[in-house]
Amino acid sequence: MSLNASSRSAPPAMSFSFHRPGSLDAAIAFAREQGDAARFLAGGTDLIIQINRGRVAPRHLISLDGLGLDRIDEAATEYAIGAMVTHDAVVNHPGFQTNLVALAQASAVVGGRQVRNIATVGGNIVNASPAADLVPVLLALDATVDLRGLNGTRSMPLDRFLVERGRTERRPEEILTAVRFDKPPAASATWFLKAGRRKAMEISVICVAAQLVRGGKARIAIGAAASRTVRVPDAEVLVERQGAAAFREAGRIAADAVAPIDDVRASARYRKLLVAALVERALVACAGRIERGEA
Amino acid sequence: MTRQALDLTINGESHQLMVEPHWSLLHVLRRELGMTGTKENCLEAECGVCTVLLDGKAVNSCILLAEQARGRSIVTIEGLGDPEHLHPLQAAFIEHGAVQCGYCIPGMILTAKSFLDERHGRVPSEAEVREALSGTLCRCTGYQKIVDAVIAAARQMNSWPEAARKA
Repeated sequence: MSLNASSRSAPPAMSFSFHRPGSLDAAIAFAREQGDAARFLAGGTDLIIQINRGRVAPRHLISLDGLGLDRIDEAATEYAIGAMVTHDAVVNHPGFQTNLVALAQASAVVGGRQVRNIATVGGNIVNASPAADLVPVLLALDATVDLRGLNGTRSMPLDRFLVERGRTERRPEEILTAVRFDKPPAASATWFLKAGRRKAMEISVICVAAQLVRGGKARIAIGAAASRTVRVPDAEVLVERQGAAAFREAGRIAADAVAPIDDVRASARYRKLLVAALVERALVACAGRIERGEA
Repeated sequence: MTRQALDLTINGESHQLMVEPHWSLLHVLRRELGMTGTKENCLEAECGVCTVLLDGKAVNSCILLAEQARGRSIVTIEGLGDPEHLHPLQAAFIEHGAVQCGYCIPGMILTAKSFLDERHGRVPSEAEVREALSGTLCRCTGYQKIVDAVIAAARQMNSWPEAARKA
């Protein structure tokens, strides 16, 4: 039954033990005890690959499965997406098809469907990849993250939680339990656009999310354009003041504000051109949806 | 090492195993159980040849720890049909000549099954099929016939009652 010795599925150099704590508090206590030797496991679609590549070598994996974090809760004024909710569940959620459609649009382009059936919202956030597709949408929604630790739960704006590539404000023993955001007013819209080298199964070259509220706020967030996902407050304020007349200028401001890198997927220069074009396009799409009552 | 007892339900049968915590579901299927219908290639969730169904949904078994499948229902290509009783997807793949080298086909068929099951019989467009299969690569590039076969199978399954479709 065994294959040849050169098979690439050889076990990683260092194994780990697998833990299924019975409660969030037990998970937190065990993580505290083990410190750097432990990692929480959500879907594992990134972490398992990193372990197999030898980039991280935790001695303990603490599963967050079965702890009640896999629900999308709708309250009177807000949504709370549990950390273990899959991208597939976001894509298919009935509440995310109209003025929150950017959530479904972003989750729909995370990997292929096999990945979306396992990969989680919490993992997408905590991983702190600047190219995470869902994060710009959540930033555009002024989302808040809930962090449960040794002394209960603390909350903070997602914008403050994200520090830079791979770094967040999360303490090692803390579990991101949910991400929350207000339900938007009826006359509002969101839109998400992603540029990649192919239409599917691709890491973003640039991704952009926007939210427009008629007579109210404008939000613009951009992924894969800096060391973390960023908002562009200057462009938002301009759109709030001048409306559709400022959409193109908002794109230019956004392109100036970001600091993309040259890499295998695209040059920094091309990324800036994409930011200008996609920001304008996302704002136009939002305005059109509000206008047509699709929001 | 530190093997742990793990009871996996695969194609409706219970398997009592002793597994290393870092073993992927793919490793267990192929090496421990000799179920080589599930293929092994990129090991990084890029190519989809290792696709199996977990509680009915397509997943990459190469980056899923066997432990993560504890208590859940796994279906592999071995569980889908047999030469006398082909699943409509299998029959359609044969009829449309959708199989070239064959290596991606178990993953293609299971990805397609998960997609069609979620649609409850609604026949997809070609664009929808292509998007659904985007995580499953055919390096023979035989996509057109694969897409044709999936749509043909969807049409046939569309005429079934819901209970039969799920089987």
